[in-house]
Amino acid sequence: MVNGYFRYIDYGGSLEYYIFEIANYSFLVLLLCLCYKLRFININSLIVWTGIFFVPLVLNYFIFSPSLFPDQFQYALEVMSLKSKGISIDAIASQNAQFSLNLGYLGSISIPTNPVTFSTTFLGFAPIPNFMTVTSLAFANKFFLFVSFLGLKKFFFKDENILLLFFLIPSLLLYTSLALRETLIIICSVFFLLNMLKNNYIISLIFLLPLFVLKIQMFAFLALYFVGRLVFRANNSLYMLVFFLGFILLASILLQDVILQIINYYRLGFAAENMDLGDGIYGYYAFSLYGEELAESLELTSILEVVFASIAGLPKLLLMPYPNTWSSIFYPIQFFESIFLILLYWSISVRNNLLKNKEFIYLSVILLLSCMLYSLLVFNVGTFVRYRFSLFFPFIIALYYLATLERGNKTKLLK
Amino acid sequence: MSFLKKIEIKSKALLLKEFFYDYFWKKSSLNLGLASLIFSLAIIQFSTPQFYISATLRENKSVGSSSPSLGGGSDNLFSIVSSESNSFGEFRSNIYSYIIAQRMWEKGWATEIYAGGDKSIDVNKIDKPQTLADRLGSLLLGYELYDFYSPHDLQDFISSKVDLQKEIKGTNITVSMLTSDQNFGISFLNELMLTADKYAKEFLILKSQAIIDATYKQLSESRNSAITASLAATINKESLHIATLTNDLPYHIYFIDPPYSSEYPVTPNTLAIFISNFIIFIFLSVMYNFIRNHKEDLW
Repeated sequence: MVNGYFRYIDYGGSLEYYIFEIANYSFLVLLLCLCYKLRFININSLIVWTGIFFVPLVLNYFIFSPSLFPDQFQYALEVMSLKSKGISIDAIASQNAQFSLNLGYLGSISIPTNPVTFSTTFLGFAPIPNFMTVTSLAFANKFFLFVSFLGLKKFFFKDENILLLFFLIPSLLLYTSLALRETLIIICSVFFLLNMLKNNYIISLIFLLPLFVLKIQMFAFLALYFVGRLVFRANNSLYMLVFFLGFILLASILLQDVILQIINYYRLGFAAENMDLGDGIYGYYAFSLYGEELAESLELTSILEVVFASIAGLPKLLLMPYPNTWSSIFYPIQFFESIFLILLYWSISVRNNLLKNKEFIYLSVILLLSCMLYSLLVFNVGTFVRYRFSLFFPFIIALYYLATLERGNKTKLLK
Repeated sequence: MSFLKKIEIKSKALLLKEFFYDYFWKKSSLNLGLASLIFSLAIIQFSTPQFYISATLRENKSVGSSSPSLGGGSDNLFSIVSSESNSFGEFRSNIYSYIIAQRMWEKGWATEIYAGGDKSIDVNKIDKPQTLADRLGSLLLGYELYDFYSPHDLQDFISSKVDLQKEIKGTNITVSMLTSDQNFGISFLNELMLTADKYAKEFLILKSQAIIDATYKQLSESRNSAITASLAATINKESLHIATLTNDLPYHIYFIDPPYSSEYPVTPNTLAIFISNFIIFIFLSVMYNFIRNHKEDLW
């Protein structure tokens, strides 16, 4: 529905901005009270979610300028353009990125393949009263995060209070409080993995497909998991897992040129984006001036080199941002959080005797492979802390689900 | 219909009804709903209607430098890279710089902004009201406060009012501001952009002139014909550069759409303020009743 009511004006941190966003917050808390009354959530969830919903109000324009995450403006402009005019903003419309499917007599459907349009189209369905500022989409993200919490509680986890703790991880609070598509990526990945563990392949596929548009690399990692589990049954036997890994290695060697070209392309792209020569010369412009030597040093020439470079880069990816790079309040939090998440992963697996569980081994192998691939591209700390979290969080939830399944099996056996 | 049984529609509908009567259908909701209308009216009355002034520009690509060829798989990347130039960054820095504020000051814009357009007032003698925080700061740290507005204030005005946005992966630049006076906004934005662009040109002309002077000096000392030819080529190049800069055309940017104003004030958004305040006040009423009814659960 096109509605001229939503139009992008830069309200900054003015009174109007707070009126519009407090109205969004109020609406979500009313929804929360309703859910409590209908007994969908318990009192702890009510209190904690009241706090979680409040976070967007204290981030943009309050703790930091929204320009710290400048992509937010593009998402905000796009959602308001779609809502007020029914068309994308010029920069996106000129790319003409959409997939059309002709359904004969029924007409045709068009699905946007631009990740910004795709995610804002979806986020625009959030029933919040105002899409007026850059923070409105953050509330839309919070709405979908809450819906996913209800879904997880209903279909996967019985212990609501423990599930609630996962939603208090600082990075999740941060990234779901911004106008970015991270929330949708995390939600799709979580439900994909959980449904896979429940052997619901069709439902998993439904959650996997949007990731092709939202984040292609996440799609690739999870598609690998999907194929390995469905075709190779790598979750059932260690021999099949080794066979699957051998198959991946063989395919990588056979398709070496193509794979290297893709990896080098992205390595150069991320390195160029992060290049800073000072005096306002940075990014692609700086790279176009002085990037020749850097480009040569970054080029990977064989799959073996890719494997070594990815293993060498793994500690950096897992532990960044290192203390010597801390430049904002978020960096120390994210550093300690990354250590905490690794310990949590280890602790859940050890406490629940999962180390010999084949499903756990397969899940961890895929996580490790994904991290290794990401480690080849780490040039911008801020970006990859975000990418790492949206990769790691779904696997932690999946691991916890696996642990609850294992505990359930043991209880059944004891009975 | 077993799944409907599972959802327990009947009991949920009852709970919904109970929720409505317990928290919404209250006298406090009516009172606060009416209070929201008064509050919204007050906000709208005290707000100054602001027009949205904007201009669409595009970077002048000829300003960007050519990129080196790296060969191999990097060619695709550089097709993206070469389309990027730093013009926007330079233009943005110029717009917000002190030197531009100073030039705008010299052109008399301070009179328009701080003295209501009264040209009889000396531009350097416009009284500046001091905030309590400023007075406290000067008292505690022992520095003098300026009694009159200066180009620093104009620089702050430009930084806080004028917004520059470039589309991500796009080429268009939008320069915008909110102002209560349409005519002032249009002329101010136009003048500001042209001044910033002109300053960039002046700097480059000076730079080229300095290169020419130094090259002439080298040329007079040079005895090698190859070096002489190279120096002459440099002089030719820089002279051509000066020739292309000494005109009235914009350098960093060119206008796609010159500054224009919205037809009506865009802020305050009356309908949105009424609806938002109504939601907030109803929320307060519901929360009051909710907390009162669930005191024991909550504490």
